[in-house]
Amino acid sequence: MGHFAGYHPFVNLVYFVIVIGISMFFMHPVFLVLSLGGGIAYSFYLKGAKTAKVFLRGMMPVCLLMAAINPLFNHEGATMLFYLKNGNPITLESIVYGWGSGMMMAGIVLWFSVFNEVMTSDKLMYLFGKALPAFSLMLSMSLRFVPRFTEQIKKVSQAQQCIGRNITSGTVPERAGHGMKILSITTTWALENSVETADSMKSRAYGLRGRTNFSIYRFDKRDRGLMALLLGSAAVLLSCIRSRTLSVLYFPVFTMNVTSPVAVLSYVLYGLLCALPVILNVLEDIKWRSLRSGI
Amino acid sequence: MALFEIRHLTFYYPDSEAPALKDVNLSVEEGEFLVVCGKSGCGKSTLLRHFKTAMAPYGKREGELIFDGRRLTEVSVREQGARIGYVLQSPDNQIVTDKVWHELAFGLENLGYETGVIRLRVAEMASFFGIQTWFMKKVDELSGGQKQLLNLAAVMAMQPDLLVLDEPTSQLDPLAAGDFLATLRKINAELGTTIVLIEHRLEEVLACADQVLVMEDGAVLASAPPRDLAGLIRGNDMFRAMPAPMRIFDALKGTGKCPVTVREGREWLGGLRRTGGADPGEALTAPSAPEKSALPGRSGQAGGKSVMSGGADPAGQTGRKSAEKPVIELRDIWFRYEKDLPDVVRDLNMQVKKGELFCLLGGNGTGKTTTLNLIGRIRKPYRGKILIEGREIGNYKESELYGALLGILPQNPQCLFVKDTVEEDLWEMVGKKHDTGRMDTVIDQTEIRHLLKSHPYDLSGGEQQRAALAKVLLLDPGIILLDEPTKGMDGFYKQKLAGILKGLTREGRTILMVSHDIEFCAEFGDTCAMFFHGSVAASRPAREFFMGNSFYTTAANRMARRWYPDVVTVGDVVQRWKDADGAPGSAGMNPEADKESGSADGRYGV
Repeated sequence: MGHFAGYHPFVNLVYFVIVIGISMFFMHPVFLVLSLGGGIAYSFYLKGAKTAKVFLRGMMPVCLLMAAINPLFNHEGATMLFYLKNGNPITLESIVYGWGSGMMMAGIVLWFSVFNEVMTSDKLMYLFGKALPAFSLMLSMSLRFVPRFTEQIKKVSQAQQCIGRNITSGTVPERAGHGMKILSITTTWALENSVETADSMKSRAYGLRGRTNFSIYRFDKRDRGLMALLLGSAAVLLSCIRSRTLSVLYFPVFTMNVTSPVAVLSYVLYGLLCALPVILNVLEDIKWRSLRSGI
Repeated sequence: MALFEIRHLTFYYPDSEAPALKDVNLSVEEGEFLVVCGKSGCGKSTLLRHFKTAMAPYGKREGELIFDGRRLTEVSVREQGARIGYVLQSPDNQIVTDKVWHELAFGLENLGYETGVIRLRVAEMASFFGIQTWFMKKVDELSGGQKQLLNLAAVMAMQPDLLVLDEPTSQLDPLAAGDFLATLRKINAELGTTIVLIEHRLEEVLACADQVLVMEDGAVLASAPPRDLAGLIRGNDMFRAMPAPMRIFDALKGTGKCPVTVREGREWLGGLRRTGGADPGEALTAPSAPEKSALPGRSGQAGGKSVMSGGADPAGQTGRKSAEKPVIELRDIWFRYEKDLPDVVRDLNMQVKKGELFCLLGGNGTGKTTTLNLIGRIRKPYRGKILIEGREIGNYKESELYGALLGILPQNPQCLFVKDTVEEDLWEMVGKKHDTGRMDTVIDQTEIRHLLKSHPYDLSGGEQQRAALAKVLLLDPGIILLDEPTKGMDGFYKQKLAGILKGLTREGRTILMVSHDIEFCAEFGDTCAMFFHGSVAASRPAREFFMGNSFYTTAANRMARRWYPDVVTVGDVVQRWKDADGAPGSAGMNPEADKESGSADGRYGV
């Protein structure tokens, strides 16, 4: 899954919050392009050719739809291009805004697909567990329960089919009746089994005061370093946005900040931030290659 | 000093007149390996639940429970949680979390250990049990055997002094069960953990037990080291559950040290033959002669030509059961679950005759259950034909196939029940027709009349199997498919099931069963087939089948094959011994044995 995913889950989470947060709330065209580029690169690193599928099926349609629909409903902006039949104007600004929000949506879809890959249930559970210990155990138990329940339903309906109780044939009331029976008996089954699970928990001293939460993660020096880097660059970017060194305005007229050296530097910084996982992963790959050739 | 002591324990379940436990006295020494056995419902599980306050059943209780010198009720929950480990029957239900590592840490989390301590303990346990390779996996991805091993490891991570296990292997196949028991032995020997175990696979477990407790109707029937057990329970039903060497020893009125394992049984039988009047010289040549002549016939040819042709060309059978048309016929069946996956069933040819009990044996994952699903039309082969009563399976309508023709019992009989009582469940099957006559016949046939008012889930494994069988029988099927019907059953229930199955075959019904249970198939099967690598490796009448195998055969055969290559069951060994004893001098047995293996050669040979 790459080197970046091997960092502490908290570092992973902070990273995604910063990158996704900025590209969600700050629709700066340069930032949108950088975020999209970084997302595509990381997705390609993690999933390879599958990225193309995500791109074509998820992002492109969203992007195009937003670009096409926005001008039809949004008539703000000073530069009118032409009038629609119902008398509403189409403005240049609304088209630009449509493209901008399309790209933003595409970027978010992409980053969330990467998020899913990196933030496995273990990691989420660990993070939740830090805040709400009982919730983390409940989540873990339901993650175990749901697949078992569906599996049992499958088994029961198969067994029922073999004694002529098929839910895929017969009249609708018959099928509904069989389906209900299966659901009700499987629920009974689940309750029955949960008694034994409860026994097993009790016999392993569940319910005592002072339960701890074990995790397989450790926040080490490497994590601290990356965390500082992430928080530092987030602070720089946010202060740039606050001080209007970086700014963007779509309506009434599209305006952007001037391309000052500080602005350029912050572009570079955000670009590096978006590409950070890929950079870390590739650096690690190169290190491995040199290590191997050293052997 | 005893680690755990039970003094005069009597226990009544609520609303029950009869005690579930009657004046039980028991003392478990530190480091001891105690095996508890008895018929289902004899109170052994109830007894084991008393070993831990958290697990103790509700009801009226008299007597004393002493753990490490203190009354059990005075030992805190925390201490009990850590020092008394408990492993239950079902591998699945005991697992609480969704990840292996989390499950291992669960108990330690409850006890409030710090991450560093848990990490070390979990690492220790994972290494001891060989879990490292699947440490990060989801528990759904594990096999049954791995799950149960995980349960054991999760309990051992809490470093208990006493480990209590309630039939931990009953849901496992023999191989996984063997692994599990070996691990227990290792825990007992290397860590010195005291073990109390309920088990009905006595063949494997008695060899490592220090003490055996046999229970009957809530009371202790016998408590002795395994070697002294035979004399104490002779004539009792439970004696039938003892390992084959012990039963043979007893039936032949052996003296001295009672053999428990096959190896000891062999040595003892050899010694008996030597002292039994035979010339020592002859006794020495005897073992080698039949063995030598037998070997090529058995592993050579049986492993070569006749094995390969066993399924495809039933020439060996046509002589006996001529011209009879097979009820189930599989021709060149190939099957795989998905296009990219490997074949599960390859080039399978098999015939099942009318009215026989056909046993399909074989290891895990060889495709036995899949074959059953193919015959039951739950899956479709991508090549080959399945004929049922001469007609291709695909040509039957669903209502024709599942009913008068095929009755299918899934591996877990629970899947068949949909109602709150057994009786309602049976009526659900017949629907409006109200054929009371048929209902009564089936209820009597499967011996479940006393269970009619119970909830199907409250029955024991053996009872569930019979109730499910009753449900299927109401459809009056000509062919019954069973998937491991003896799983989790004790010897007594197996006998009962065998009687029922035999009755059904006498009615002209055909039974095809998939099983791991060699002893059961040897004793009751008509034809046995060995399934291997997606196809039938050999299919022969049961007796011939087990005689021909050297490893995959019954304990009685393994023990006595040197001298009597054709024996399969305990009864056979005893019979042969007595026959030979009656003959002038037991030396007369050797040529006979030679002849026997010679004729066996003739049968399997070219």
